[in-house]
Amino acid sequence: MKIAVFPPNSLILADMVERRGHEPLVIQKEMRKKVTDPEIDSPPFNITEEEPIKGLKYAAIEVPSGVRGRMAIFGPIIDEAEAAIIMEDAPYGFGCIGCARTNELSMYYLRKRGIPVLEIHYPETREETLEVINKINTFLDELEKQEGTDQSDESEGSKLEDDKTKEQGGNNHG
Amino acid sequence: MSPENNQESSEDDKVTRMIVLGPKAQLSSSELVGKLHMLELPLTIKSTCYGALIHGNEEVVMDAIKKIRDLDPSNIFTKDRGFPPGDPRRCRAKRGAAREGFHQLEKEYELLEYVCDALENPEKVSLKKPEKISPEDFRKVVQECEK
Repeated sequence: MKIAVFPPNSLILADMVERRGHEPLVIQKEMRKKVTDPEIDSPPFNITEEEPIKGLKYAAIEVPSGVRGRMAIFGPIIDEAEAAIIMEDAPYGFGCIGCARTNELSMYYLRKRGIPVLEIHYPETREETLEVINKINTFLDELEKQEGTDQSDESEGSKLEDDKTKEQGGNNHG
Repeated sequence: MSPENNQESSEDDKVTRMIVLGPKAQLSSSELVGKLHMLELPLTIKSTCYGALIHGNEEVVMDAIKKIRDLDPSNIFTKDRGFPPGDPRRCRAKRGAAREGFHQLEKEYELLEYVCDALENPEKVSLKKPEKISPEDFRKVVQECEK
């Protein structure tokens, strides 16, 4: 399953997701596409004039271009996500007002998508960290179970359909 | 296809991974780099203060990550990195200050010890938020405490 993590560059979240066999959707993968593109040769041209236009899909024209430019990078992650883990109040997640608004908008879109979302707070102590990690692992295990039941339902559904078609075929022949 | 195009397409497939050793790790970063070299995989390996950086084709990198993680599963953490190792746009040697992302890594490193504890002693927890109790129940609790 593709799981979006927030903050999208978190080492702990991405690692936990990967340990359970899921694919973490992280910002570094999106950035890699930008920085290894042969057309971009020097800093800080990661964001071009095309990004605010792409960002229009996620934010209105009145929204500052900085937010729209950032949303052009975050957007594909949100679209691709099948589940999400949001860790609020991460101390390294602060930044300028553009970053803050982009974070709010990204979290809003993740919640609005109707996918399973785990919301946690950035842990500060040992007890909080243990609880957060156990919560993440429980959430990921439940996702696996859900995925398993969905697949079995699908296979049962296809079996039923096959039986029905067989019966119909039998009736036709009969 | 020309050899130049071949090189470009192969360069596009390459990924960079950071391997971060937790505080309780059973091996040092120099040992880690030694182990990575011993794998004899076509990788670019860079030793760092937190562990190592590896760069190469995605399949090879993931293979190396899997083998390295097996050395100390609960103390070796990995994450993707967008820029290749030694990229002048990010490398500290050229910029003269902490690399972008360093402070984030520094902050998360503080928690890795506890993350390791949680991984070694997993517990089942409920994801449901605790419900509020009614005033009547609360009154009963208070009365029991007063007795």
